[in-house]
Amino acid sequence: MSFNLSSSPHVRGSVSTHSIMWDVSLALLPTTAFGVYRFGYHALAIVLVSVLFAVLSEYAFMNIRGQKVLISDGSAFLTGLMIALNMPPRVPLWIPALGSIFAIIFVKQLFGGLGQNFMNPAMGARCFLLISFTSIMSDFKVDSVTSATPVARLASGESVDLYDLFIGNTVGTIGEVSAICILIGGIYLLAKKIITWEIPVCYIGSFAIFMFFLGHQTFNMTYVLAEICAGGLMLGAWFMATDYVTSPVTKNGKILFGVFLGILTGIFRVHGVSAEGVSYAIIIGNLLVPLIEKITMPKAFGLEHVKKEKKAKEKTAEESAPAVKAPISMKAYHAALNLCVITLVVGLLLGVVYQMTKEPIERAEMEEATAAFAAVCPQAASFEDGEDLMANAHLITDGTYGNVVLNSAYHSLDEDGAINGYVVNITTKDGFGGEITSAIGFDKDHLITGIEFLEINETAGLGMRATEPEFRAQYCGIATDSFVLVKSGKSAENEVDALSGASITSAAVTNSVNAALAVVNSAE
Amino acid sequence: MSFATFRGGVHPDDGKSYSKDKPIQSYLPKGEMVYPVSQHIGAPAKPVVKKNDTVLMGQIIAEAGGFVSSNIISSVSGKVKTIENRMLPNGAIVNSIVIENDGLYTPVEGLGTKRDYTQMSRQEIIEAVKDAGIVGLGGAGFPTHVKLSPKDPNKIDYIIVNGAECEPYLTSDYRALLEMPEKIIEGLKIMVSLYDNAQGVIAIENNKPDAIEKVSSLVANEPKIKVVPLKTKYPQGAERNLIYAVTGRTLHSKLLPADVGCIVDNVDTVVAIQMAVAETTPLMRRIVTVTGDGVNDPCNFEVKTGTCFEELIEAAGGMKEGVEKVIAGGPMMGFAMSSLKVPVVKTSSAITVFTHDEVAEYEETPCIRCGKCVEACPSHLVPVKMMQAAEKVDLKYFEALNGMECYECGCCTFTCPARRPLTQAFKQMRQAVMAERRKKA
Repeated sequence: MSFNLSSSPHVRGSVSTHSIMWDVSLALLPTTAFGVYRFGYHALAIVLVSVLFAVLSEYAFMNIRGQKVLISDGSAFLTGLMIALNMPPRVPLWIPALGSIFAIIFVKQLFGGLGQNFMNPAMGARCFLLISFTSIMSDFKVDSVTSATPVARLASGESVDLYDLFIGNTVGTIGEVSAICILIGGIYLLAKKIITWEIPVCYIGSFAIFMFFLGHQTFNMTYVLAEICAGGLMLGAWFMATDYVTSPVTKNGKILFGVFLGILTGIFRVHGVSAEGVSYAIIIGNLLVPLIEKITMPKAFGLEHVKKEKKAKEKTAEESAPAVKAPISMKAYHAALNLCVITLVVGLLLGVVYQMTKEPIERAEMEEATAAFAAVCPQAASFEDGEDLMANAHLITDGTYGNVVLNSAYHSLDEDGAINGYVVNITTKDGFGGEITSAIGFDKDHLITGIEFLEINETAGLGMRATEPEFRAQYCGIATDSFVLVKSGKSAENEVDALSGASITSAAVTNSVNAALAVVNSAE
Repeated sequence: MSFATFRGGVHPDDGKSYSKDKPIQSYLPKGEMVYPVSQHIGAPAKPVVKKNDTVLMGQIIAEAGGFVSSNIISSVSGKVKTIENRMLPNGAIVNSIVIENDGLYTPVEGLGTKRDYTQMSRQEIIEAVKDAGIVGLGGAGFPTHVKLSPKDPNKIDYIIVNGAECEPYLTSDYRALLEMPEKIIEGLKIMVSLYDNAQGVIAIENNKPDAIEKVSSLVANEPKIKVVPLKTKYPQGAERNLIYAVTGRTLHSKLLPADVGCIVDNVDTVVAIQMAVAETTPLMRRIVTVTGDGVNDPCNFEVKTGTCFEELIEAAGGMKEGVEKVIAGGPMMGFAMSSLKVPVVKTSSAITVFTHDEVAEYEETPCIRCGKCVEACPSHLVPVKMMQAAEKVDLKYFEALNGMECYECGCCTFTCPARRPLTQAFKQMRQAVMAERRKKA
């Protein structure tokens, strides 16, 4: 008779990597299902494509590398699903496919595969796509209307219906819209003990406190709740930040990690360029995990109070045996503390300088804008707010004119106060070098009287030639509903010769002009 | 109601239903009896009999080889057949005295004489315990007379009877609490009487409510003894965790319980103390649970030390077809055995027989840093990092992570979803560190 021999313990718990991955996928089901219900079949297609490509990438990579293929553990499936949930609902399908490939190959496998990646693959992919395909990744239109996400609307001072946000009757990525669905999944994970409370609670809690005191609207609980339910925060706090591989293993580390993410997200949302900040906060947090773990190593049972005693003993025993260096050296604490203090001081200084210079800069900008208005609209004696034009701002945000935003619009008045023209201040994000903001003047017959650029950072010698009078003159005094950009030789009045070597700039300007025309034509 | 407990631990399937309702049966051995000279922590005992000597039941056949050591007592009468190396349940090969049982159980003179412990001095009591060869019967086998002789007896304020029995499948302590509570209470009173400032505590996990109730009612009028119910959780009965649960005191691996004013003994050890002191009966028996889905009739035996494991399994109805694993002890900390021809030693609490060895199927997968091992570790260590040290055989890093505080309870391995052999690696690392230390010394 022979028996199996092995070292104790001889039994194991029922939870396995496999079961965890599928449990998390199950927890994501409500929000996935809601996303598909809300955004339709295209959302489902995104989910399928993203999961398929994630699993295929994993399979292909492990196969090529001659490793044992572990796709059955469900981790690639989960990564694919998480990528899909971070996609705007109308993106072309190659976007999630690319995101999944990037996440699996570059973020996960190249760093050693499961358990070795230093940032959350889904978050890494989202940030990669956001940076590379900004306009596609920030296009949230549903049924061709309204594009601003609730976070963007909160950032611009609008109020957002809390109930809609909670239920999910809003715009956003496929998986982030319904706070209640995410919460159901999160509670499932807590109940199954797959995640612990520290990260989500500390993340959301510290974010709430930050926004309460330092948000766009201070001391306003409704606003804070709206910020929590809006955008990627709930999804991030419950599902992305709690990713095992890229979050600390220690209890205190989890608390610190959560608080750090909350504050970072708050800073990004209030002061960042884009309204959203969850993904960036999480990947930055991911990078700090080794450090966080280092400074939050738990004290071993029975060694809680013996530190000093031990140190004293070590000193006396130093000659006989070199003391083993403690993993949680005070040096790390001091370094972290010093860094924090330096960061705070520099941050404060920057803040002070910003506040001091803010007003003069704004005044200068204002003067510049007023001068530009006068230049493009020579017939004006004075200007008044064009509220009727502003009311039509949504007409140009459906994508026809690319990524344009109406900043402001004015009526030009003659000496008797009668309307004799219009000025439209418009920004396009489609410039080669970023945003292009222009002031476009019209006479009372909606013919363009002038174009001035308030902000333009195009390539010198190429795109920058858009500022030359010859280029701008092409738009002036032409009666048309829409200008058409041509590459070689204009043959019709409403055609505009593109700047050679700067078709992107030319298109962006032409789109701005057409958008401004649409706004002006919509008046009366 | 809140129960005393500690932070960490796991909840394995307790498997106690196989044998918990089976009353303790006395089993008389049939074959030869084997008495290894090293069944305890400390120096091996020195045989005081030769081949062909006639021995009596209760006779010392090997004497303690030092202060931290223990006598070995013959549990039968008969003739010394041989003295040779034999295998222990944990696989160690140890010099052993083999006695041919004559089946008469002729006692040595004075065996079983009733004594009134209140008339005995502290020294006499400790001497009686020492002569009786008593060691910790819970598993570690630390000589009990050493435990009872702390540097400063006045510092001892807690005598804790460990009735947690947190190891899955084991029911011997539970049966003892139900069937011989008077012996346990008297044993505890003997121990409490040794120290002026001590009170007695009987700590029992709350999955044994009938035992808690029974013992509580019996100690209701004992001013110095109380029952502390513990939360059911593995490893609640681990000495350091038990002390924390009962007293709130913590201790690390370099401290003895006595350093924090505690003496902890397993239920069956306290029974042995009572028998040694009040009945002049040395340690010749212990309670062994024979259990698991691989035996036909799981039960609890009171057996003579030296009895062969094989006989006990036969007495429990024999093994079923297709047994894959036999464990000396329980599934969390027990030893898988290659042979059943090993004797019941002082620390043999159970034989667990499985028809299905679930561990054999598992394959190790990559660590996903879930942190479940960190949550589970009752010593508040970070097994995930200790494993990194173990993989690189980095002894210094392992020590810096307080790896030597690990007492190999198995919680991390039990809970690991990636099925990584954490405890197993730590055992090797701890041995390597200890070997390194010995080299330096």
